[in-house]
Amino acid sequence: MSNGSSPSRGAHRPLPPRRLRQRWVSTGALAGLIALTAWAGARVGFSLRELLGNLDKLTRLLDDSFPPEWSFWPRLRAPLVETLAIALLATAAGSLVAVPLSLFAARPVAPAAWVYRTARAAMNLLRTMPDLFWAMLFASAVGFGPFAGVMALSVFTAAVVSKLLSESAEAIDPRVLEAVRASGGGWLECVRFAVWPQVAPHFASYALYSLEINVRASTVLGLVGAGGIGMVLRTQLSLFEYDRVVLIILVSFLVVLVIEQISALTRRRLV
Amino acid sequence: MSGDASRHSRPRRPSRLDLGTVATLVAAGLLLVAAWEIEVPVARLRGAPAQLAGLLRQFLPPDLGYGRQQVLPALLDSLAIAWVGTLIGALLSLPLGLLGARNLFPRLGFPVKSLLAAIRAFPEILLAIYFVPMVGLGPFAGTLAVGLHSVGMLGKLTAEIIESADLRPVEAIRAAGGDATSVLRFGVLPQVFSEVVALWLFRFEINLRASAVLGVVGAGGIGGLMFNTLRYRHFAQTGAVVLATVLVVLAVDSSSGALRQRLTREPLPASDP
Repeated sequence: MSNGSSPSRGAHRPLPPRRLRQRWVSTGALAGLIALTAWAGARVGFSLRELLGNLDKLTRLLDDSFPPEWSFWPRLRAPLVETLAIALLATAAGSLVAVPLSLFAARPVAPAAWVYRTARAAMNLLRTMPDLFWAMLFASAVGFGPFAGVMALSVFTAAVVSKLLSESAEAIDPRVLEAVRASGGGWLECVRFAVWPQVAPHFASYALYSLEINVRASTVLGLVGAGGIGMVLRTQLSLFEYDRVVLIILVSFLVVLVIEQISALTRRRLV
Repeated sequence: MSGDASRHSRPRRPSRLDLGTVATLVAAGLLLVAAWEIEVPVARLRGAPAQLAGLLRQFLPPDLGYGRQQVLPALLDSLAIAWVGTLIGALLSLPLGLLGARNLFPRLGFPVKSLLAAIRAFPEILLAIYFVPMVGLGPFAGTLAVGLHSVGMLGKLTAEIIESADLRPVEAIRAAGGDATSVLRFGVLPQVFSEVVALWLFRFEINLRASAVLGVVGAGGIGGLMFNTLRYRHFAQTGAVVLATVLVVLAVDSSSGALRQRLTREPLPASDP
């Protein structure tokens, strides 16, 4: 009891004003968060009873789905190849666009302040739109099909890779940059000899990472008519052929998992 | 004579066919096959930017009346889906992240992480395909899909944050006779909590984008409006949808980003789910 650091003693002492204010602020923030959650829960109609009460519907749905209709597989082969092709092309095109964009959007590398600001703004604006929004836009602009998918995922890839790469380019060793400048190198020489050698492994890693995202995204692009295996998914879904739907989901799942493993292994060797 | 000696001692020039070259060649070959597969229409490729610009021009001026009546409620739905979905993901992923942390549970790490990887591999929109017939059309189905999918990434990154925690406090509490709950409460949670909360905020940003597209399969939110206004070619209404989405996502990203910066000492590695 005589121990001065006993926690029970501190509780009786009035709190210093700064701690008191902190406590008020955190209590207020907590109450705000709870209110926000209650509002959001009501808005989405969250109800555990509805979830648990409908478990029998899920059982019926799974009964319809399993066993998958394996004989449908031959009709999936071509769309699957198309899906992978969309992802590959979009990764290549988007990453290429991302290289200059990210260099302009990196403070030590950008040739002028206004270039830096414009590139940053463009990058942030591109990143706000979800991938399927781009897919819907391009499907309306250039027509349904895999081409719209490639365009949509290219824009999305450019946004993701340029964001990551610009962060790497801002973290480079500035002394090398200074050395190239001091020996009379122009902007291109700076990029070629000071910046690129430092960020190239990161670039390869980000491109692979975006390939993973793109393979995952390209399996559902078809839901909005932008090509790939999702087009088949949409048709079979509207026909309630759940034993085919589940086969499509399983096949996409396997492809995503395989690509992810390959990419993760390669990336580990890179950076 | 010294030339002779140096020729023998000079290391052999590495083969030009190193891993990088091989990988580049394979990638180039795959790209050619892919381009051939899609039959990229070169003529259309040149016209595409003009076509997109033409479409975007028709978005202007955005239909603001439609924006107030339809877009605003749908956006609030999307925000609510993302918020509740993130909370579901957070609540489910915290125990899984603890169990998956190799420094706390060496034997459970691999199975738990494999489970999380499997969950991650199903996009929200595929999960929604099963939740919609189960609980009906609307935002509840979307919320469940977003929540379930979030568990995969949140669990994995939570486990990684815990794995980087300092184990000495844990040892100290064990040595002082603390049980498992005290170890978690006083040894692990104080170290990781702010970073885990920053992770949840980051996931909220992702989930807002994810919930925005769920309307395509009837799972609530703004995606349904985007899909239908484009389908019926009411482009001024699409303009309102795009404008509102961009503004809300920008606002959420910047406020959440500022909060995250205060919560973590160094930027999260979280740009890599």
